[in-house]
Amino acid sequence: MTQNPWLNAITLGTIALSFLVLGLFLVIFLNTKGLLEEWGSRIRVTAYLSSTVDLSQALRLGQKVRGLEEVQEVKYRSKEEALRILEERMPERKEWLRGLPRNPLPASLEVRLKGEYQNAEGVQSLVKKLRGTPGIEDLQYGSDWLEKFSAFMALLKVLGLSLGGLLLLATIIVISNTIRLNIFARREEIEIMRSVGATGLFIRAPFYMEGVLQGLLGVVLALGMLYAFFLLFLARVYEPLKGLLGNFPIQFLSWEQMVAMGLGGVVLGLFGTQVSVGRYLRL
Amino acid sequence: MIEMVHVSKAYEGNPKALFDITLKVEKGQFVYLFGPNGAGKSTLLKLLYAAERPTAGEVRVNAFDVVRMKPRKVPSLRRTLGLVFQDLKLLQRRTAQENIAFALEALRAERGEILKKAIQALRLVGLERKAECLPSELSAGEQQRLAVARAVVNDPVLLLADEPTGSLSLTAAEETIRLFEKINLRGTTVVLATHNEGIVNLWPKEKIVLEQGRLSEGPHPLPVAHD
Repeated sequence: MTQNPWLNAITLGTIALSFLVLGLFLVIFLNTKGLLEEWGSRIRVTAYLSSTVDLSQALRLGQKVRGLEEVQEVKYRSKEEALRILEERMPERKEWLRGLPRNPLPASLEVRLKGEYQNAEGVQSLVKKLRGTPGIEDLQYGSDWLEKFSAFMALLKVLGLSLGGLLLLATIIVISNTIRLNIFARREEIEIMRSVGATGLFIRAPFYMEGVLQGLLGVVLALGMLYAFFLLFLARVYEPLKGLLGNFPIQFLSWEQMVAMGLGGVVLGLFGTQVSVGRYLRL
Repeated sequence: MIEMVHVSKAYEGNPKALFDITLKVEKGQFVYLFGPNGAGKSTLLKLLYAAERPTAGEVRVNAFDVVRMKPRKVPSLRRTLGLVFQDLKLLQRRTAQENIAFALEALRAERGEILKKAIQALRLVGLERKAECLPSELSAGEQQRLAVARAVVNDPVLLLADEPTGSLSLTAAEETIRLFEKINLRGTTVVLATHNEGIVNLWPKEKIVLEQGRLSEGPHPLPVAHD
């Protein structure tokens, strides 16, 4: 790598940039996914009960709902509890609410979904089963935003994979090209090695090592730049928005994810090298 | 040592680069491969070190069946040979000693042995005082000797040289031939390709004569190689 410092610097820079973009995408995607999962865990379906349903009937209904495959937990909320919660949320109306001749709020079953059903499809599936159940007068579920957000996540995933694929291809091409030029630059040495009886492995090995090193160093450089960007920019931009997003803590890539990227760099290095060695270093 | 039986080599633009060559070179011989430019000398040498495969016939070098052996066996054959190329192929950015060491590194010689053998090879060719010189700092004759030193550093049993006196003065050419003789006396079989009739006449040896890809049936004796 010291033989063509400029060429190798350009290659390293290109690889680092590719992985930087990939890494940035990954950080954004993972954090957005995490946020969505957190919001998803707060999804509730509220089944408002008919006024004719008494406590024992409500509890029996609650047990039945608990047995549905989408359901994690069911909580019964009495009319009195519902009124108390409303008073807490609207303290300025407390006196007025207490002055009402009768409690207008219905009892309800607060249904929490299992993890794998905390999405638009899961909610719809549960709602379909609950609708028309005797004793349940109305259902409330705020899945409109969830649907849009899920669609956004799916789009983000597709964009990420497409962009990622293109960047990986570009990285392979760049590494392959650098190795090809290095093979050309060392053609005299290669010819001498062949003439004296050096094995194919001995001749090829340095090129593979170079490719792996470039891939690995490129990833390390990218992760360094990404971390700096994360600390100095992303974290600062997110700070004012944190309250709006439920104080969700954004995170950098985990150690496992960084190691996986490193391994990805190694694999790309090997692959890129093989493209050139296989083509231009036939022994 | 070398045996060729009805060997032919055809290229796309030259269907008879070599045609029906049958010859034998015994161990310990010093043989000229003589012929004008384009006669097929370089092609014949390439067949001997398996840089090319013949179109027909059999080639055996140092007990290797060059035609039938698998490509991964070629390095093993070449480790028994020493090659001196027409264009020398010296590494211009390395010193004389480093040029020789490079060949030993490629053969994965032990570190301790590399320096010792490199110096021995330089001493053999009379270049021990020029160990730190770059090829560009050596004369044409010295560069030739350096190429020979690299070729013999691993004690080959067979040395193949392609036009080693090509660009040399008569004095330098004599030095080169004497060097090859010295190497031959140590037990290495030598095959030296040349078009220079003066060399062949001044320092006569056994001859294989090629003309237009064929062994000559002219005034020179037929296939060679008996002492």
